[in-house]
Amino acid sequence: MLLIDQLVKRHGTRTVLDHVGFEARPGRVTAFLGANGAGKSSTLRILLGLDRPDGGTALVDGRPYRSLRDPLRTVGSMLDGSGAHRARTARDHLAWLARSNGIARRRVGEVLDQVGLASSAGVRVGRFSLGMGQRLGLAAALLGEPRALVLDEPVNGLDPEGIRWMRGLLRDQAAAGGTVLLSSHLMAEVADVADDLVVIAGGRIVRTGTLAELTAGYDRLEDAFFALTGGDEGAHR
Amino acid sequence: MSTGGLLAAELRKTVTLPAAWAGIAVAVLGSIAITVLNALTTRSAIDAGTPERVANTSAFETAFAAMPLGTVGAVVLGVVVISSEYAANSTDAGGGRQITATLAAIPRRVSLLAAKATVLVLLVTAVAALTLPATAGIANAVIGGAATETVTPAQALVRGLGGTLYWTLTGLIAAAVTLLTRSGLIAPIVLIANSSVVSVSLLLTNLTPLAHWLPDLAGRRLFTGVDTVEGGLAAGPGALVMTAWTVLLLTVAAVVFRRRDA
Repeated sequence: MLLIDQLVKRHGTRTVLDHVGFEARPGRVTAFLGANGAGKSSTLRILLGLDRPDGGTALVDGRPYRSLRDPLRTVGSMLDGSGAHRARTARDHLAWLARSNGIARRRVGEVLDQVGLASSAGVRVGRFSLGMGQRLGLAAALLGEPRALVLDEPVNGLDPEGIRWMRGLLRDQAAAGGTVLLSSHLMAEVADVADDLVVIAGGRIVRTGTLAELTAGYDRLEDAFFALTGGDEGAHR
Repeated sequence: MSTGGLLAAELRKTVTLPAAWAGIAVAVLGSIAITVLNALTTRSAIDAGTPERVANTSAFETAFAAMPLGTVGAVVLGVVVISSEYAANSTDAGGGRQITATLAAIPRRVSLLAAKATVLVLLVTAVAALTLPATAGIANAVIGGAATETVTPAQALVRGLGGTLYWTLTGLIAAAVTLLTRSGLIAPIVLIANSSVVSVSLLLTNLTPLAHWLPDLAGRRLFTGVDTVEGGLAAGPGALVMTAWTVLLLTVAAVVFRRRDA
């Protein structure tokens, strides 16, 4: 279970997150929706201990991420692509990650197979396409067989077949009792996979609820989204 | 996470980085190449009956003249263990930086920095253990009995260890500065230019004797012996001052690294 409570983050005088709070529960896929710059990545970065909040807390199973022992076994995450150095091969990247969290070496081959990168395991990451980078990032997230997945824009750069595959993977994770939190600015992808929705605009949560609750009265999720966020205001920030 | 796992992960991360091997190659192969050249020059001067053409005919001194290249290699290693974390990937591949993956896997930042420093010390020591005997052996083989060795084995050992300490401390300072600046440019420009092109620190000693307390000058007697610029700190106190600089910079870097956003 991921709990975000009253998060505040300022960059200078600009308030990036204004008392953001929501939760992602086990057995469900929670989609974190917002335009670019609305505060999705800032929230996820604080949840993963990368950035410090100016107020509020973000907890994983009741504990701050930074206090987790072998965090990759509890939360698998992906932010801005693969996170691999461009001069390193996919296999070497996963191998040091596994070593750092006491994860069995065989998992490296298994996740490379799982994300469809087995034939590119020895290729330097700098030569990867955006979609391959996303797959490697996902492989890293799955490496420690974590109960929770936190993924920032996971379908970015994936082809239609890849998007379909990603949906299946997220549904399976939730069906097995896992917690899935993914951010997206693409409404269409989310509508088919999410159970719960959290909508953020201008650093504030404007609505949370199930997919059915949020889309009641609208033809499509996209219409609901623009009605909630006041059109494309976020895009002009 | 276990300390052993953390160390093994950071070691693996460093040795799978091509830039780290460039640093190791500069130190090992560069030193060997310079030593071969220097030793051949010395040998031919002796054979021609004009040993005064070279500064010193000692095989050990000839080998030790290549020490600055080891310093360059240590700086490269110190920089890349940190700068590789902050280098952006190509925009085609998402443009991310490795520090995100590193801190997600190892959120305890001070332990992470300690592991990186340990790996750096291990690698620089290994490079020295390979380079110093190799260059001394080569110089001995080329010059051999043609000249009298003026450096005793005990002196050679002490200066070899002193040089290793100087390399290690310089590498750690490079790592600390790179972590503070999150740039792979500033530390090498300052440290490599200062140790090989023109020593700004040495020029500063003309303005104030306090410059002898700068890290590079304080540690200079660790390997340059006694026949260099007068003044400054002796080897022992100099080593302590340089070590204190290193500890101070690493501590500041650790405090900043722990507090700031990734």
